[in-house]
Amino acid sequence: MKISAFSAFMTLIVLLAGLFFSSPFAALLNSFAAADSLGQLFNRQIFIVVTTSLVTALLATGLAAVVGTVLGYHFTFRKKAGGRWLKTFFSLPLVLPPSAAGYMLLLAFGRYGLIGAPLYQAFSLQIMFTTAALVLAQFFVITPLMMQAASSAFQQVPESLVKASHSLGANEYTTFVKVLLPLSRPVLVAGVITAFARAIGEFGATMLVAGRLKTIPIMIYVKAMGGDAGVADGLSLLLVLLSFMVLLLVNFLGEKR
Amino acid sequence: MALILENVSLAIDRHQILEQISFKLPIGQSLVVLGNSGAGKSKLLEVVAGLISNQGGRIIFAGQDIGALSPQERKIGFVFQDYALFPNLTAEANILFGLQARHAPVREQDRWLKAVSIELKIDHLLKRFPAELSGGQQQRVALARCMVLRPDVLLLDEPLSALDAASRERLALLMKKIQKKYRVTMLYVTHDHNEARYMGDQVLVIDQGRAVQMGRPEEIFARPVSRFVAHFTATRNILPGRIKERCGDGMALVKVAGCQLLSTSFPARGEDVWVCMRPEHLSLIGALPDISNELSNEISGETFDKTSGDNLISGYRICQIIPQSGAAVLVELMRRGERLMVFASSRRIENQGLLSNTEVELAVAARHVHCLPRQPEDIYCRPE
Repeated sequence: MKISAFSAFMTLIVLLAGLFFSSPFAALLNSFAAADSLGQLFNRQIFIVVTTSLVTALLATGLAAVVGTVLGYHFTFRKKAGGRWLKTFFSLPLVLPPSAAGYMLLLAFGRYGLIGAPLYQAFSLQIMFTTAALVLAQFFVITPLMMQAASSAFQQVPESLVKASHSLGANEYTTFVKVLLPLSRPVLVAGVITAFARAIGEFGATMLVAGRLKTIPIMIYVKAMGGDAGVADGLSLLLVLLSFMVLLLVNFLGEKR
Repeated sequence: MALILENVSLAIDRHQILEQISFKLPIGQSLVVLGNSGAGKSKLLEVVAGLISNQGGRIIFAGQDIGALSPQERKIGFVFQDYALFPNLTAEANILFGLQARHAPVREQDRWLKAVSIELKIDHLLKRFPAELSGGQQQRVALARCMVLRPDVLLLDEPLSALDAASRERLALLMKKIQKKYRVTMLYVTHDHNEARYMGDQVLVIDQGRAVQMGRPEEIFARPVSRFVAHFTATRNILPGRIKERCGDGMALVKVAGCQLLSTSFPARGEDVWVCMRPEHLSLIGALPDISNELSNEISGETFDKTSGDNLISGYRICQIIPQSGAAVLVELMRRGERLMVFASSRRIENQGLLSNTEVELAVAARHVHCLPRQPEDIYCRPE
């Protein structure tokens, strides 16, 4: 069988890409095995870090699921003048460097910040360097993701179904609850799962607002910089496995749809 | 008491979709909106349903201006081209959707569900999801979903376009029956002239967002006001002609395709005309030279007498015979590059042994020769 030059070129690129992308994973597995990382994961400090990560990511995802879905609905069905600009604005955190996002959150919600200062003065409420700050940072980063997922989910619902619902006497709320949400559910759920994965892996923005608190990515950074390969390996592998399962689930939902 | 549209217009993104559409349709009658794809037919229905707000015009039903009401406040049923059944709901839940949205009492929901599903013969399909139904069954469910709401106006957007021929016929009959039984005012959009003929008490022809003609189907088909309407209503013979003489007795002598024809339908002024003759109005008398003096046209049932003043056209040869549905055939005739299309019965073609290249004679009544004004700049494109 004759192999064309084009086919050979494509195969070569696939092989090289495979080699490049698998090398970090291979290195991680190698380091994990050598450092006896599993044993180092079972201590109170790591338990607190994992719990903090899970709790903050779940809270941020729950908030983003509601707000992102509402934003997605708004920009899909309530097209107003300037809507494109506003949608672009809400999408900014998607492409913004996370460290910049974290810094801006500090400026806004820090003790001397635009919103933080009056909150502190009025209620002695401090957001920065608390669990709430972690939730806020993750929420800021993942809401645009959820908004885009919701937007594309709603766009996939045939326009005639929405019109049919209205013509049958259903108001906007009934149409949203009885038609749009059920028909968009798989894409919305995939969006929620992806947002959760992004939240739990968030590093840049959370790093700036975390203070002494630590999430899994922050802990990996701290341990890797401190030369404690065992914990860094173990937590990295945990995140890799989690991410893999999330992607698997999203793909499964996509196929089911 | 009527459904009245006054100067209804619609522009989307600076593109004029509908332009000053006006008509009056008595309550309980059906109006077929006939036009090309993109003519604005579906948008007109959406404006009437309130799904798109009308820009400047008025929509009045039974004396009440409903133009400013929301879709929920209008008693209008809408059957969409793709049926728009909710795929996550069973047929039953689809049918009850509107009643539940309007918070109808459960007893009433049950009563109407039962009555309409029996009427439309879908009572055995209620537990199925749309994906488990055939196109015709989905259409019935979509119709039932509207009928349980007992709408004042029923809007149907090309409801038969996605169905096979047998289902189309059955559903057309059913819709006509339902419309007459419930005396519902109906707007029916189609691009199919046969459907228009059958479904409409009235026909409105739309071209590029403008209403170009409205009337009873037989009027529209026999007396199109423009070449577009003539072409769109399948007047297959549209030939350039010239009025030679206005005889004064309601007749005019028209020169067309090398012969002279009498016409009772012609413009008051101007000499250049389009001569329109429907294929079913032309009678294939027989092969020359064996022409009988009086022969019946089996399609129209009319009798022509060569001495009565009805028109005879000769010199055409059969080019091809195209089978149609039933026992009819469409015969293509040619003479010196001019083409005429004639409906005939396949039995006649067989009995008379009419074959390709046989020279035949045709007859057409003067009242079926309809002349339209022709502008000098109108380009005559000889059909391929």
